[in-house]
Amino acid sequence: MFGSRIKLDRDLLRKIEMYAKIAGYSSTQEFITHALEKEIAQLEQADSDEEIRKKLQGLGYIS
Amino acid sequence: MRFRTLFLATLALALAAPAAAAPARKVLVLGVDGLDPALLRSYIARGILPNIGRLIERGGFSELQTSMPPLSPVAWSNFITGMDPGGHGVFDFIHRDAATMLPDRAESVVKPGKTLSLGDCHVLPVGGGGPENLRRGRAFWQILEERGVPTIVFRMPANFPPVPSPGKSLSGMGTPDIQGTPGTFSFYTDRQVPNAKEISGGEVYAVRPSAGRVDAKLHGPWNPFRDGSTACRKRLEVDFTVHLDPQRPLAKFDVQGQEFVLQQGEWSDWVRVDFKALPLFASVHAIGRFYLKQVRPQFELYLTPLQIDPKRPGAMQISTPKSWSHELCEELGYFYTKELPEDTKALTGGILNAREFWQQTQFVYDELRRAFDYAIESFEEGLLFFYFSSVDQNSHMLWNYMDREHPGFNEDPLLAAGIEQMYRGIDDVVGRALATLPEDATIILMSDHGFAPFYWQVSLNSWLVERGYAALRDPGQRSSKWFGDVDWSRTRAYAVGLNGLYVNLRGREPRGIVEPGEEHERLLRQLERDLLGMVDPRNGKHPVSLVVDPRRDFHGPLVASGPDLVVGYSWGYRTSWKSPLGEFPREVFTDNTEPWSGDHSMDYRLVPGVLIASRPITLDAPALHDLTVAILDEYGVPKTKEMIGSDCLGER
Repeated sequence: MFGSRIKLDRDLLRKIEMYAKIAGYSSTQEFITHALEKEIAQLEQADSDEEIRKKLQGLGYIS
Repeated sequence: MRFRTLFLATLALALAAPAAAAPARKVLVLGVDGLDPALLRSYIARGILPNIGRLIERGGFSELQTSMPPLSPVAWSNFITGMDPGGHGVFDFIHRDAATMLPDRAESVVKPGKTLSLGDCHVLPVGGGGPENLRRGRAFWQILEERGVPTIVFRMPANFPPVPSPGKSLSGMGTPDIQGTPGTFSFYTDRQVPNAKEISGGEVYAVRPSAGRVDAKLHGPWNPFRDGSTACRKRLEVDFTVHLDPQRPLAKFDVQGQEFVLQQGEWSDWVRVDFKALPLFASVHAIGRFYLKQVRPQFELYLTPLQIDPKRPGAMQISTPKSWSHELCEELGYFYTKELPEDTKALTGGILNAREFWQQTQFVYDELRRAFDYAIESFEEGLLFFYFSSVDQNSHMLWNYMDREHPGFNEDPLLAAGIEQMYRGIDDVVGRALATLPEDATIILMSDHGFAPFYWQVSLNSWLVERGYAALRDPGQRSSKWFGDVDWSRTRAYAVGLNGLYVNLRGREPRGIVEPGEEHERLLRQLERDLLGMVDPRNGKHPVSLVVDPRRDFHGPLVASGPDLVVGYSWGYRTSWKSPLGEFPREVFTDNTEPWSGDHSMDYRLVPGVLIASRPITLDAPALHDLTVAILDEYGVPKTKEMIGSDCLGER
């Protein structure tokens, strides 16, 4: 697996391991990857929403 | 002898040569957005529009049936193509992409180009992308040019980028500002602006005057050499400085070496701005005008949306031939190039007050007037179309100054006469045309739609929830996101844009639940009945008086490409401020107290446009698509098989 090492707080890592198991992930890495992908997708969506609004808001007819 | 031979040879050649083509007859079409027949009649009755009165005496005056919905991009597209939305595909200002469920402009879009990643947020643009005109069908001036009729088309809406034509044309409504939006103004201040983030159509920038100067930035388009992701992208910026006079209310500006002084309350002339994407390599050119609203106690500086520089439009073609915008600029000086130049958003956002807005609209009219005078003086033959936005934009923003019934009525004698003043301006234009053009020229004064008050708003999406057509995941929580709160698994219909209603159709919408065919049809009929039966409990009125089903009521191959239903509001009503972009406010019916107080996005039968011509009007109820046929007929050009209208003007 390519990638960089990331330092995590010990307590957080413990929680990640626990919830990865509860949620049925095959590994903590799979859980972390999924969580980050979800967060990024949300940020990208929020950004595109904002961009869309801005692009259309100059129209006098909407606010 | 030698000379005699030469003379005879020349004479023979001259006699053998075909006669030079006769100049094409002159037809002038004055397209005045939002010119309303009822207001026009009342002003004519008061004798304040003498030139329009003279034009009516030459030919006639009729209401002109507008499009459904009666929105400018739709109405002008009807006129341009001689078709209805089923033919040209423009159904609203805003439509949604069924595949992505994201909204966009209905008449034109700017698509991103392809890039090659260079790493570390840097990219190399490798082509593709750019603006695309989404209107389908041939424009009448393209047809005339094919028949050898020279044409000049000035700021026709729904024509960006301008369709290819050997004639001269300048784009109008649909043309973005330099940021790719319909218009984003800038406001620089050291005062606390309430809800600054919520102001739409502009950005508020906090500045801090220090040692008698203000240093700030002009904000251009995204840097094309950077990745478009949130983490990487950056706007191109230009620094500028304002030096504040220590005693007097004036300031000296320095923008890229252009120095000028403004008094408090004064507007600058056009200022050029060059955004450099790569030093010495790629620049984006823009123009803007500053308004020094206040020097102290608080500093307040407004800047118009930065416009595409007509001298150097770059990749954004705004005219045919591309060089024509440059030539016009040489003749007329710099001018507004973005779609509707009147900054209604700055008034709505409280950045400009109504008198400042009125002043800005005068600049727009004066610019258009200067361009018209140039166009009419240099008009040699063929067709000249000239567009004015001033009546429309002032009717939107000053209706509440002339209508005491309006929930947002304001008292101001100057502004109460503002709309009338704009009608006088158009009368003056007609006077100039009558004085300049020969007797046998055809002069047509027309509008795309009329006007009505906007007293009450209907949140159509909220009504759909109330009636069980749409469902929210948590009715207690209503964000301001584009359909962010919707439970699509329980939503059968949703509203987008000013008049569009869509069914959440399986196979078309990503999370569609309504089966195509019988279930779809049944739902449409039920929606139609319920919409027409809608009652505003506050006054017992029916807010909807017409529902159009494009597949039933429109013509052409694109009838199924728009909304499933088009909603026509009754007199005084309109969709709410929030509903068009997928929001669900708690209240369905509310008063409109915004400065935007007049409107026309309603039942088309209530807001007809105007047709006045120097020729007799031969149809009882002419429509925009009939006028298209009449203009072709001026040159003996038959209508195309896609056109749905008939000639509406009599013999000369």
